[in-house]
Amino acid sequence: MVDSQQWLQSLPTAEGLLGKVQLLGRQSLLQKGMPSISDEDWRLTNLNQLKEFLSLPISCQDSKLTELNCREWPDCSKEVFRLIVDPQLRPMDPETLPQGLQILNSKELIQALALKENSQPSDVSWTELINHASATKVLGLSVEGKDVPPIELIINAEPGKFSSTRVIFILKENAKLELVQVVLGRGNSTQSHLLEMHLHKGAVLNHAFLGYGSGQSCLLAKLSVQQESNSQYCFTGIQHGWALGRLEPHIVQKEGEASTTLRGLQITKGKEQIATHSRIRFEGPEGKLDQLQKGIAADHSHCIFNGGIEVPRIAQQTNASQLSRNLLLSKRARIDTKPELKIIADDVRCTHGATVSQLKEEELFYLRSRGIAFEQAIRLLLKGYCQDVLKQLPLPAKEWSLLKNLLKNVS
Amino acid sequence: MAENQNTSELNTQKPYKYGFVTDIETEKFSKGLNEDVIKLISRKKQEPDFLLDFRLKSFRQWKKMREPNWADLGYPKIDYQDMIYYAAPKQSDKKASLDEVDPKLLETFDKLGIPLSEQKRLSNVAVDAVFDSVSIATTYKEKLSEYGVVFCSISEAVAEYPELIKKYLGTVVPINDNFFAALNSAVFSDGSFVFIPKGVECPMDLSSYFRINSGDTGQFERTLIIAEEASSVSYLEGCTAPMFDTNTLHAAVVELIALDDASIKYSTVQNWYSGNEEGVGGIYNFVTKRGHCKGKKSKISWSQVETGSAITWKYPSCVLQGEESIGEFYSVALTNNLQKADTGTKMIHIGPKTKSTIVSKGISSGKSNNSYRGLVQMGPKALGAKNYSQCDSMLIGDQASANTYPYIRSQQPQASIEHEASTCKISEDQLFYLQSRGIDFEEAVSMLVSGFCRDVFNQLPMEFAAEADKLLALKLEGSVG
Repeated sequence: MVDSQQWLQSLPTAEGLLGKVQLLGRQSLLQKGMPSISDEDWRLTNLNQLKEFLSLPISCQDSKLTELNCREWPDCSKEVFRLIVDPQLRPMDPETLPQGLQILNSKELIQALALKENSQPSDVSWTELINHASATKVLGLSVEGKDVPPIELIINAEPGKFSSTRVIFILKENAKLELVQVVLGRGNSTQSHLLEMHLHKGAVLNHAFLGYGSGQSCLLAKLSVQQESNSQYCFTGIQHGWALGRLEPHIVQKEGEASTTLRGLQITKGKEQIATHSRIRFEGPEGKLDQLQKGIAADHSHCIFNGGIEVPRIAQQTNASQLSRNLLLSKRARIDTKPELKIIADDVRCTHGATVSQLKEEELFYLRSRGIAFEQAIRLLLKGYCQDVLKQLPLPAKEWSLLKNLLKNVS
Repeated sequence: MAENQNTSELNTQKPYKYGFVTDIETEKFSKGLNEDVIKLISRKKQEPDFLLDFRLKSFRQWKKMREPNWADLGYPKIDYQDMIYYAAPKQSDKKASLDEVDPKLLETFDKLGIPLSEQKRLSNVAVDAVFDSVSIATTYKEKLSEYGVVFCSISEAVAEYPELIKKYLGTVVPINDNFFAALNSAVFSDGSFVFIPKGVECPMDLSSYFRINSGDTGQFERTLIIAEEASSVSYLEGCTAPMFDTNTLHAAVVELIALDDASIKYSTVQNWYSGNEEGVGGIYNFVTKRGHCKGKKSKISWSQVETGSAITWKYPSCVLQGEESIGEFYSVALTNNLQKADTGTKMIHIGPKTKSTIVSKGISSGKSNNSYRGLVQMGPKALGAKNYSQCDSMLIGDQASANTYPYIRSQQPQASIEHEASTCKISEDQLFYLQSRGIDFEEAVSMLVSGFCRDVFNQLPMEFAAEADKLLALKLEGSVG
């Protein structure tokens, strides 16, 4: 168990490109302290477990992944560019990058980081601060043009360690990309991950975030997306297998007139606790949002969704819809869902809905009356339930998100 | 009828017609709160020892508690020592007949549209009138007692039915429930008590009317309604206060208990003074209301129209314990100018096959802030429980905000929860349609608003529904366009 001061002391000295960010992050953390149950955003989190995960030793500079669990990975087709990075974000396989994709040099990185510094302090969540304070390296990539092949970015946690990674993607004007990001947790590990995306005018991004934990692993991920006008951002976040998982997609439509689609699926079993805390803010008129979040909770697990939508005065004619649907499969599991709408603009259409239930008796009966065994019928219904979210995934992600895997051990 | 017309004329001239102060000699305690003040209140009311213990225990609990701030209502810190905890119009004790009551008081209630004197009484509604800290009069008491219904002020109930008070007081809202409930439990001065015996359907609507008169007195009333097996009652609550530049705290506690097959319907039209256009003055309405559906197939229904108060912060709730018990919540909350409202409900499903319905309509105009915050919780034993919630917000003008925070928690797979919500504004098309048919702008707006609130108004007793409709129109006057 640690308090924030102890944890901060265990960090290496701040230096390098991220030195300034680290110092600032550590300062704010020291002020804020650890999250407590009186913080609305952390009220439901298993804070003791969080503290335990924070007390893992920090992954050090020269740690290398000696063996990869590649065997479990699906094959990578030729059209897809697979980029594997180690906990220090060094590409494991320094291949030549495909055309249109570039690694940002330090000058460009500083520029990209500066963009972020101007954002509102309230936007910086505790999850993000943890990353600011601890991440020593940042991987920046820029995308230009429409012909970049789909990218698969694989981030591996280091067993027994706390690793912290930060990735920045910049999509230039009218660029188009399909990105599959896989974050793998293994053994007793904690992965703090910060992903920043900047979509310039007219950029189109189809982004899948696949967080697959195994064993006693923890994920603390923040996704910060800034969209300029006419950009399209489509996000599918899947979380599965984390003892403690937390994903915070935070999207800002800087000028409105952009479109955002969010799909989320989280499946909890055993004693897992997985949460999604999304926030979308419209800073200009005529923004669009379509959000669907699904959760399945089995065994003793706990599934949390918190979805904030902010429509300030300037964001007239916003059209936002949010739907949270949850399946509760066991008597001992728990589901908490909380939409949060803050609306000031008056000429808007905002709707939200939330449901919690179990599988429908009639649907089960229908399948069984056609000779499908009980277990199989349940499986079929669960598959169908997940399909709503999965159908939007970019092509290369389909290999990763094998339903079989997702629904393994869910009963 | 003629009088009614007069009042409606008055309506259009004055934004808040209940803002007058009655000049009456009152007995007030000095400012501040400590154990002595509590003992004094208790002695003043000649309370039995158990109640004094209850008060003192609450006070000690309250001192340990911190004022909550999670709702982010942004009101200045309340100085609890700069407030008077007991104020009563001077009269030796409650009069047997209304003729002996100070005519000024009767006049006040007449002016508020609540005539208490025999010949003018509202037909078929029994009224308990509370002025500052004490109950002035309760009408139709004799008729009610024929049916065995007890309807009196809580002080009288303490004297006459101490065993009932002892058994039920603080069982639904425990003293340590929240900061304001603890404060109320320590200093509550008066309020209404209703007891409906087994199998009795209350022959008339019961109603209490709360009036704050002095500007530096907090009002802490306590209402306790007990409906025994297979009984039913409909209870109405109305409130007004004069216009002061200072903020007055109103921290009431309402407890409802429904046993097997009993049903309680609790309706509120809240019209406390809301402060002026710059947000100066007004009532802080921090109320804890909770009903306990204890028995099988019991039912508690809350309907509320919230139009007043500088800040409204309340969540009338239902604890659904009895099998197949039903909880309902129908609410219209309207905010204008700089008003803030954070209101909603909690439906705590404990027993199997419990059902709850939530319909909430929020209307925000001016620079106000209107939030729906609600909790639906399905406990592990709530087999086959069902909830349906609907919250709609209407925005008038682009400076008001409408927030929705529904909390949903389920621990029972065989329970189903449905929640839907929408936000809209008054549609230009609808306005144009009405105006083109010769209905003037303001009237068209109020028609549309009233249509928006229909689901809730339908749940209100007749007299209230009409009043609520008028009230909304009045409150919105001049805020559109």
